[in-house]
Amino acid sequence: MESLKIAATERSPEVDFDFKHGVLSLRGESYPEDASAVFGPIFEALERFLPTVGNREIRVDFDLTYFNSSSAKALMNMFQMLDNSAAGGARIVVSWFFAPDDDTMKEFGEDFSEDLEHVVFNLVAVESAA
Amino acid sequence: MASFNLFDAEEKLLEQAEALRGSLDGTSAVVRGGFDTLLDGYSRSVREQRRLVKVSDRLQAQLATVNQELGRRKAEAEEALASLKAAQESLVQSEKLASLGALVAGVAHEINTPIGIALSCASHLADATAGMRKMFEADDIGVEDFERFMATVTDTTRLILGNCDRAADLIRSFKQVAVDRTTSDRRHFDLGSYIRETLASLGPHLRQAGHAVSIDCPGGIVMNSFPGALSQVLGNFVMNSLVHGFGPGEIGHIVISVDQPDPTSVRIAYSDNGHGIPEENRGRIFDPFFTTKRGAGGSGLGLHIVYNLVVGQLGGTVAVEPRDGGGTCFIVTIPKAID
Ligand SMILES: Nc1ncnc2c1ncn2[C@@H]1O[C@H](COP(=O)(O)OP(=O)(O)O)[C@@H](O)[C@H]1O
Ligand SMILES: [Mg+2]
Repeated sequence: MESLKIAATERSPEVDFDFKHGVLSLRGESYPEDASAVFGPIFEALERFLPTVGNREIRVDFDLTYFNSSSAKALMNMFQMLDNSAAGGARIVVSWFFAPDDDTMKEFGEDFSEDLEHVVFNLVAVESAA
Repeated sequence: MASFNLFDAEEKLLEQAEALRGSLDGTSAVVRGGFDTLLDGYSRSVREQRRLVKVSDRLQAQLATVNQELGRRKAEAEEALASLKAAQESLVQSEKLASLGALVAGVAHEINTPIGIALSCASHLADATAGMRKMFEADDIGVEDFERFMATVTDTTRLILGNCDRAADLIRSFKQVAVDRTTSDRRHFDLGSYIRETLASLGPHLRQAGHAVSIDCPGGIVMNSFPGALSQVLGNFVMNSLVHGFGPGEIGHIVISVDQPDPTSVRIAYSDNGHGIPEENRGRIFDPFFTTKRGAGGSGLGLHIVYNLVVGQLGGTVAVEPRDGGGTCFIVTIPKAID
């Protein structure tokens, strides 16, 4: 399946889904005026990709510094999808990156991963490149 | 004390549903499966709702902090601006005082020379007169003595008169500098006609030498300003053209043209085709006492007066512009109406 690459904008994250190698990442800030415009293509791609993964190993990185409530709901939906796939046999590792001094992002990561039962979830503190 | 729980109703519903689930044991697997799915979905939804409320609260708190910070910075910036303005004002004041000080020092210096010369001539005359008196009392005056005395009297009185005139001239121009801004009055006048009148009153000076004057001003520009100040400005320009611009025997051309850069102001361009002002002097001509005719009638106050009148009373700006093909050009931009 072809990769999904969408450049970041001021209000939306960079999307880099390399399906061939099983490495998916969302990076940046997310507070779009129209959440469906940003997350629509993402979900569409995941819905096509996840049923094909079987028991492959998939890495999903979330490196977000800021998001609004709609994006938060979309992220939880995404986590749920990934967890369902993992329940079906895929080996999915989700990494949630946050800056060491950003307690809010860390807590959101903790909260959002509460319901995950099948994916491997990592909270990763990283100094931001900026 | 009942502790407040935001999700009290949801939790009660969940408890009821769990209880209901227990009583479903005897029913079909399809019903139980469907019920479990609904229950799962609902409890997940409640958990998500809790997280979203938290996200939203955090965002709002961040926004509030940013707003507070913004407000604080704005207040700081306003304060800084206010103190900057105060500093600027006091700078302007001290600048004014400094220029007043320079003026007073200059006045003293400028007047000192003619008065000093007049004084020494007068004392020379007094000495000569005392000598004459002695000779007269001794009845011992020769024709030669008398001729010498007459020559001294002629010389010294000429010098005394000349230098007193010079001092009087200087005092007159100093008085012009100190012209009281509040006494001269503001009124409505037609700019074109007023410029023509002013130039007409300067006519004798101009006509004598045969210089030509052109005035190009659109009709119907009505000013509400200080006509006295304006004519003083033009008068100083004209005098300078006559004194500095055109050499003896040269016939020059003066052009005054007016336009309106915007509806509220007028721009008066005064130019002559004389010798011009060298680049290196352009930055200093508005300084008090800057003159290239020191000792030859120049006080260096003409353009200083112009500057003060234009910037002060007339509320505008004045600049000297380089002019293609030589000559001098002053641009005066002033508001049509002063309140
Ligand atoms: N129209 C002009 N043409 C040439 N030089 C000028 C003209 N107007 C002013 N200047 C120069 O500017 C100097 C300052 O002028 P001003 O302040 O009126 O003093 P003053 O006329 O007493 O010398 C003059 O000495 C002269 O060098
Ligand atoms: Mg002058």
